[in-house]
Amino acid sequence: MKYALFLGCTVPVRTMGYELSTRAVMKKLGIELVDLKEFGCCGFPLESIDHDTYLSVATRNLAIAEEHGLPIMTMCSACNGSLLKAHMAMNDEKIKSHINDTLTPLKRHYNGSIEVKHAARVLYENIETIKEMATPLPLKIAAHYGCHYTKPSEIYEGFEDPEVPYSLDDVIRAVGAEPVQYENKKQCCGGAILGIDESVSLEMTREKLQHVKKTGADAMTLVCPFCDIMYDVNQRRIESHFDEKFGIPVLFLPQLVGLALGIPSDELGLRLNRVPVRSLLKTLGD
Amino acid sequence: MGKTSEEPRIGVYVCHCGLNIGAVVKVKDVVDYVKTLPHVVVARESTYTCSDNGQRVIQDDISTENLNRVVVASCSPRMHGETFMKTCEQAGLNPYLFEMVNIREQCSWVHTQKEKATQKAQDLIRMAVKKAALLEPLERQKSPVQQAALVIGGGVAGIFSALYLANIGIKTYLVEKNPSIGGHMAQLDKTFPTLDCSLCILSPRMADAGNHENIELITYAHIEDISGYVGNFHITVKKEPRYIIGDQCRICGVCTEKCPISLPDEFNMGLKERKAIYIPFAQAVPNYYLIDPDNCLHLTKGGCMLCQKNCPNDAIDFDQHEEYVEFDVGAIIVATGFQLYDATQKKEYGYGVYPNVITSLDFERLVSADGPTHGKVLKPSDDTPPQKIGFIQCVGSRDEKEGAVYCSRICCMATVKQATMLREKYPDAEIYVYYTDMRTPGKGFEEFYQRGREQGIVFIRGKPGEIAENPDTNNLIIISEDTDSGLLLKNELDLVVLACGLRPPEGLDDLTGLLHLSRSPEGFIMEAHPKLRPAETSIPGVFLAGCVQFPKDIPDTVAQSGGAAAMAAQLLTKSEIELEPVRAEVDPELCVGCGLCEFLCDYGAIEVQETEDGLKAQVIEVACQGCGVCAASCPKQAITVHHFTQNQLLAQVEGALESLPPIQEVTP
Repeated sequence: MKYALFLGCTVPVRTMGYELSTRAVMKKLGIELVDLKEFGCCGFPLESIDHDTYLSVATRNLAIAEEHGLPIMTMCSACNGSLLKAHMAMNDEKIKSHINDTLTPLKRHYNGSIEVKHAARVLYENIETIKEMATPLPLKIAAHYGCHYTKPSEIYEGFEDPEVPYSLDDVIRAVGAEPVQYENKKQCCGGAILGIDESVSLEMTREKLQHVKKTGADAMTLVCPFCDIMYDVNQRRIESHFDEKFGIPVLFLPQLVGLALGIPSDELGLRLNRVPVRSLLKTLGD
Repeated sequence: MGKTSEEPRIGVYVCHCGLNIGAVVKVKDVVDYVKTLPHVVVARESTYTCSDNGQRVIQDDISTENLNRVVVASCSPRMHGETFMKTCEQAGLNPYLFEMVNIREQCSWVHTQKEKATQKAQDLIRMAVKKAALLEPLERQKSPVQQAALVIGGGVAGIFSALYLANIGIKTYLVEKNPSIGGHMAQLDKTFPTLDCSLCILSPRMADAGNHENIELITYAHIEDISGYVGNFHITVKKEPRYIIGDQCRICGVCTEKCPISLPDEFNMGLKERKAIYIPFAQAVPNYYLIDPDNCLHLTKGGCMLCQKNCPNDAIDFDQHEEYVEFDVGAIIVATGFQLYDATQKKEYGYGVYPNVITSLDFERLVSADGPTHGKVLKPSDDTPPQKIGFIQCVGSRDEKEGAVYCSRICCMATVKQATMLREKYPDAEIYVYYTDMRTPGKGFEEFYQRGREQGIVFIRGKPGEIAENPDTNNLIIISEDTDSGLLLKNELDLVVLACGLRPPEGLDDLTGLLHLSRSPEGFIMEAHPKLRPAETSIPGVFLAGCVQFPKDIPDTVAQSGGAAAMAAQLLTKSEIELEPVRAEVDPELCVGCGLCEFLCDYGAIEVQETEDGLKAQVIEVACQGCGVCAASCPKQAITVHHFTQNQLLAQVEGALESLPPIQEVTP
């Protein structure tokens, strides 16, 4: 299997560990990733401001992938939703022709043939291979799905249940770890309102960390750079802001899978994680 | 009959229907145009053609102008077709020499451009006039009526329908699929807004239905087949064996004590157990035991027979078999009720996952004296009294995602009732109702709701997006918006009741298939007219009562049951009825007996039979509904549907094409 890797803006700048681990794990699973230099912004930041412009920006990427005849793999859940929604919008011939008109000066044209998959979904679809290759991890892991990975459900056409999501829990099981259940599992990370009202945003993140803490989980796992910024990058800030200690390591799903597949922690970018993962690696005998 | 051979003399009456037609169609222009059509002797406009005066004008013209055809252009024939047929008949004109044009529903109501609408009205009338010239008089045949009725479903709707009919003196078969009549109402503890005990008011009527000399109660049975037509339906009912001799059972309960098999009790929503030999509930009618054949040890694996060995009255008979009961009736009332929305579908509320999330019907059993907790409302997780209870409204109703846009009508009041009962039992409990809109339009309903508010029940306007559970305490966390205050509220509750909406009953497809009944988009059975014929279906002789037509409360159900019974009695108290002569007829000379018509007929009204001249299709006149499928599909054009003959229809088509520009010859 071969995918065009869509990096987006945040992953390569703020969560390089996610990129490193995704590349390493996909390689190990025999999935080839191709970098297309022409890829640009996914369009997500424009979606609520100017819908047409958003569609043009997003569809431009789909057109590029189509030129190369490659399906797209995203890492960021917002990129995934944004590209997939644009792809679905092109089912309407009127919208499609309008958007293609706006792409004409850029010499791009989208016919509507490109599949867009989140890296986590690709891992879920390779769950049998992971099971075969994995050395079981004796860990308790709390899955955080975030919003765009499962919603709106109509763009995922039956992949995932937005009310009772399962794919990350299944992958956690596949690597021999125990998925723990906690009270507000489906809650948003709070990242979406970080720029609007920091106190509400941090309070939301804190609430989830509290519930995860209660379960005694060894770590959280997640699949979106924005969620990671809230739980990993901002965890210490939350601790000092609320004077409350968490110390919950946060792993990207490919980092967790990578550990089970025996990929060295350096190749998984684990040193880049803000909340130290040393104790976790010790548990694993590293 | 002589009139048909005469030159057609047609009178055309174009109706304004107040402004319904007149505001869009230029009626005067239409009349002027109609006067120019061949065979039209008189054409008039009228403000309300259906009024006494409007009808008198037609009748006067029939005699003074010697009309032998009448065309009325007004509303749908379903509205006033019969009215004008009677008008003609009273003036001595065969009612089938009347033709109706719908220029309201199919013209003025759906168009806004006056010129084009006027043109269309003219086109439609021209078509009708063309057809009218070729109409033939038809005679109605008489058919005897079986003076008995079938009521399907033994809930409150079926019980009342059957009692009303039986009290008139009509023999009534009441068929119920469950082992006892009573339906959902028997499961309720109290009724709103009077807080009457539900079974106290229902069980005397159940007993009446069980004892009535004119009612034959057939329970634990379902409708296997229905054939025939209005006045003469032939019914086959399959009755499951109970393995109990009813007359001998003294409901002493020894059998139940001895039975080793325990199962979830359906009547108590699985919150309690019953044995494989059981009685559905204490007041069940008929009041004797039955054996659940899917779970009885003897009936599944052999052996056991503890019940039989211990029964002091020899009432147990393992040799009973299913029975087929056949009978004839003249009318049928469908009263098969509803099923509750399956709350497990609404995954975000965790019903079936979180023990302390229950449905409104579960609550009824919990609060009921003979329920699993003897009337104490306790948290299912630990059987302790709840302190903070929440009700969520519109679960599976007014929810596009769940495929139900409609309001189920009873849930707001049911919740106010349940909250009120909780308040009585737990004066210090905190009670919250999360609602979309409180809908309390009924006698005493608003007062009851206000009383609930005064009793400190907190009503929050906002539908929660999800329920989360604290896995340690099984408490339920609801975060919701209060759209009145704009505040986001977080509430930790220890019991949540889902006010589930009403859905069409299970297995309705089979019944509507047998009876050829139409369904509304929500799946309930369609009534013949939403306002004026709410208890009738579009199939003659088949009537409706209760929630199978649409969700409704008990008073409305009882009222509709009375309506359905009255409509059925109106038919059944006659010795014979007139049959519609708009029917198919086969020309045996042309028929080759291919059987396509028999295969296509939805009503079983045409069959191929061996005759002296070989295989020929024959119409069963009384069953034929005149739909025309056979005539349209016959490859030999051997079938004619009276009043819609090929010549008549072709004349209409010709009339339609007249307004088109002439066809241009196309040369390659």
